[in-house]
Amino acid sequence: MKKLKSIQEFKALQGKLIALQNSGIPTVVIPAGTCGQASGANDLIRIAKREMLKKNLLKKINLRITGCQGFCEMEPSVLVEPKGTFYPKVNAKDMARIIHAAAEGKVVEDLLSLDKETGRRVEKQDEIPFFKKQMRLIISRNEKVDPIRIFTYIENDGYSALAKALEKGDSAWVLNEVKSSGLRGRGGAGFPTGLKWEFLSKQPSDKGKYLACNADEGDPGAYMDRSVLEGNPHSIIEGMIIGAYATGAKDGVVYARNEYPLAVKHLIIALQQAREMGFLGENILGTSFSFDIMIVKGAGAFVCGEETALIKSIEGKTGEPRQRPPFPVQKGINNRPTAINNVETWVNIPYIINKGAAAFAKIGTNKNTGTKIFSLVGKAKNTGLVEVPMGASFRDIVYQIGGGSASKSKVKAVQTGGPSGGCIPEKMFDLTVDYDSLAKAGSIMGSGGMIVMDENTCMVDVAKYYMNFLKDESCGKCFTCRKGTQRMHEILDEVSKGKATPEKIDLLEELALAVKDTTMCGLGQTAPNPVLSTLKYFRDEYLEHINNKRCPAGVCKELITYSINDKCTGCGLCRQSCPKEAITGAKKKQHKLDTSKCIKCGVCRTICKFEAVEVK
Amino acid sequence: MVDKEEVIRIVDKHQNGLGHLISILEGIQIRYGYLPEEALRIVAEKTKTSVVEIFGVATFYRFFRLKPIGKYLVSVCLGTACHIRSSPQIIEEFERQLNIKAGETTADMEFSLEPVNCLGSCALGPMVVVNGHYFSNVTPSRVKQIIKKTREGLDKVDVDQDERIFPVEVSCPHCNHSLMDSKQLIDKHPSIKLTASFGEKHGWIRLSSLYGSPHMESEFEITSDSVVNFFCPHCNAPFIKAGNCPECDAPMVPMIVYGGGIVQICSRRGCRQHMLDLSSVNL
Repeated sequence: MKKLKSIQEFKALQGKLIALQNSGIPTVVIPAGTCGQASGANDLIRIAKREMLKKNLLKKINLRITGCQGFCEMEPSVLVEPKGTFYPKVNAKDMARIIHAAAEGKVVEDLLSLDKETGRRVEKQDEIPFFKKQMRLIISRNEKVDPIRIFTYIENDGYSALAKALEKGDSAWVLNEVKSSGLRGRGGAGFPTGLKWEFLSKQPSDKGKYLACNADEGDPGAYMDRSVLEGNPHSIIEGMIIGAYATGAKDGVVYARNEYPLAVKHLIIALQQAREMGFLGENILGTSFSFDIMIVKGAGAFVCGEETALIKSIEGKTGEPRQRPPFPVQKGINNRPTAINNVETWVNIPYIINKGAAAFAKIGTNKNTGTKIFSLVGKAKNTGLVEVPMGASFRDIVYQIGGGSASKSKVKAVQTGGPSGGCIPEKMFDLTVDYDSLAKAGSIMGSGGMIVMDENTCMVDVAKYYMNFLKDESCGKCFTCRKGTQRMHEILDEVSKGKATPEKIDLLEELALAVKDTTMCGLGQTAPNPVLSTLKYFRDEYLEHINNKRCPAGVCKELITYSINDKCTGCGLCRQSCPKEAITGAKKKQHKLDTSKCIKCGVCRTICKFEAVEVK
Repeated sequence: MVDKEEVIRIVDKHQNGLGHLISILEGIQIRYGYLPEEALRIVAEKTKTSVVEIFGVATFYRFFRLKPIGKYLVSVCLGTACHIRSSPQIIEEFERQLNIKAGETTADMEFSLEPVNCLGSCALGPMVVVNGHYFSNVTPSRVKQIIKKTREGLDKVDVDQDERIFPVEVSCPHCNHSLMDSKQLIDKHPSIKLTASFGEKHGWIRLSSLYGSPHMESEFEITSDSVVNFFCPHCNAPFIKAGNCPECDAPMVPMIVYGGGIVQICSRRGCRQHMLDLSSVNL
């Protein structure tokens, strides 16, 4: 790779790449993010390469390996451009057929997505309901870019925004664009990004300033950032370079999550390539502007999502938050002014600079501009990453895109904001998804986790789950957070076991409010949200556990029993797999389950093909 | 056993960076699988930090362990999406099958069981990862199979049967001379013959030409972990590096693939990183 010494050189290279790209031969795209690889995408890639070499197809088709394209449940999938032919859940043995068909410009009918309602095969990705209803400004770029090959980013408008900013030569213009775009921080709190940058730009620069990217996606159930880190790392890098240009920062840090090995790997490669080509380092694209980025790996602590804790962790210390002010823009990493933005925030920057602040501000609602990516997971039919304009309703997201419930059981609620968020009941699904209306409903936007729950999800169990998580992740600095989360967990545990009295609910509520009011950082202040929101909307479930010793969803182990109904065909699978020999019965006769021996491990229920194992 | 020199090397490597203490501990854990007390005391001495502070950091973060782990690390995701799809039943089933509690290691040092907060594959839950191999949509009844498969070897490839393995023909990136040796077969296919040097030794090395097969032969035994310099046996030119290995940072070595494209292999013995690039764009 040759270092680019001027903006003109960059433009010439970009032009050359675009011309080569339009060669008109089909491109086979295989998404191989963590989800894809976990589902067998690597096997598809191997077979694709094998066929291309064996049949000498290198001049007839291109192969592009990309990150996650969002419809994770349909992985491993294959997309053939330019037509946009989409093959979901591809079996390795069918891959050769797809390659041969693509080389001849044909389609393999029987492998296309099947619309269960009409019984018809849908060829194009855009026609599949999951994709059709989205506005994929960010995620759609993942399928265009091979994350470990910088040229594929450049030929798709990559680094154009940086070139544009450098050409203008006016950092105030960049700052103003970001400010007037109305972009708010995508990490959860929704602080206006332009304002944060302005604060940083006004800080004295004698000691140097830092820009940080929070890529420590600790919220369980959310993985938007992972998909961008893995699939389009250069867009984060470009966003940060532009941020540095606007604010005068000289050093950048990406604080990346250790649990995401592929994301870290792609980021390392991308940084190496960006440096080699002159997008990072001294005199970027031949200008007098210099900036570089390094990676610091997190070591697994949820509290490090809080910015003062994140700074401590970057410094190599225990990640305990500290009192603000001074704010990180005044005193951050190594006591130098620091601005921290989330991955998704950074990725929006090149878009804003390329298309203009006004175009960006048109998307979404007045005070919530742009799009937001959500990880729509749990009990929905279509699970994956969903990108919609701000202000879309829960109903649109869960039913139109998510396809509603995956099973016969109805959707009951959606949880947003992870351990700091709350549950929104189905009856409130007309609520729009933005920072302000979610806060009003007792939850938060958070980083974008959206977990769909159905009637088989117990809300007491959900609250207990989060409290268990929070008691482990509380750093312990504030007494009320440390002990409060422990005590709340104990009460929830008693409720789930049918051992609590009705007064315990009052105590739980009192405790929750005390923790909310008396802790220092965001973790503690929002920790009671899962309890308060479930108590607000699902109090009857708590009461059912307490008064009738019953778990209506059939989850809380102490309150449920397993039995075998008359759908049993006597196949014997459950009998053979039961670890406690609690199931008896003759071949082809309905089996019986001895509840005194049963340990409720669930093996029989998951192995049964006839839905004959019931939980009550 | 902790090798003092080695620990010092790890400390020196990260000493001046941001977040150096965490990076040092990470380096030690990657080397030993856990943080041996002896190593932490060396770190304290070298970095002039109190042992208490180092233990504070080591116990604050979930990633670090103070006890050795087994040959196979089973990570069960307990993220929210996995939880509501019954991941607690999965970890309980592992506990029963392996006869250990979460966080423990079997007495034969074969399996360690570890709960993780979220692996970020939420649409495919419940997720289980064993030594980097992902298992999605796991049910309690599949746990036994996962353990069985692990014992049989997750990296095992059957070179004769596996349809993901295929032959490639390669040539030198300098003189374009074919590197194939049809007289000496490996995996029943012509081998790729190169000249290799490491340390004081200089001799031939033959690699399997099956893409995905780790088999090789060499004139001298190449010790695990050592980085080898490759030369073309025809024009004698050293192979230029095509970049650094994203796994272990050693140089990646490129060869031209007959039919188009470039294959790169990592020059470190034992590292299995390789890439086959079939794109025709070459600027």
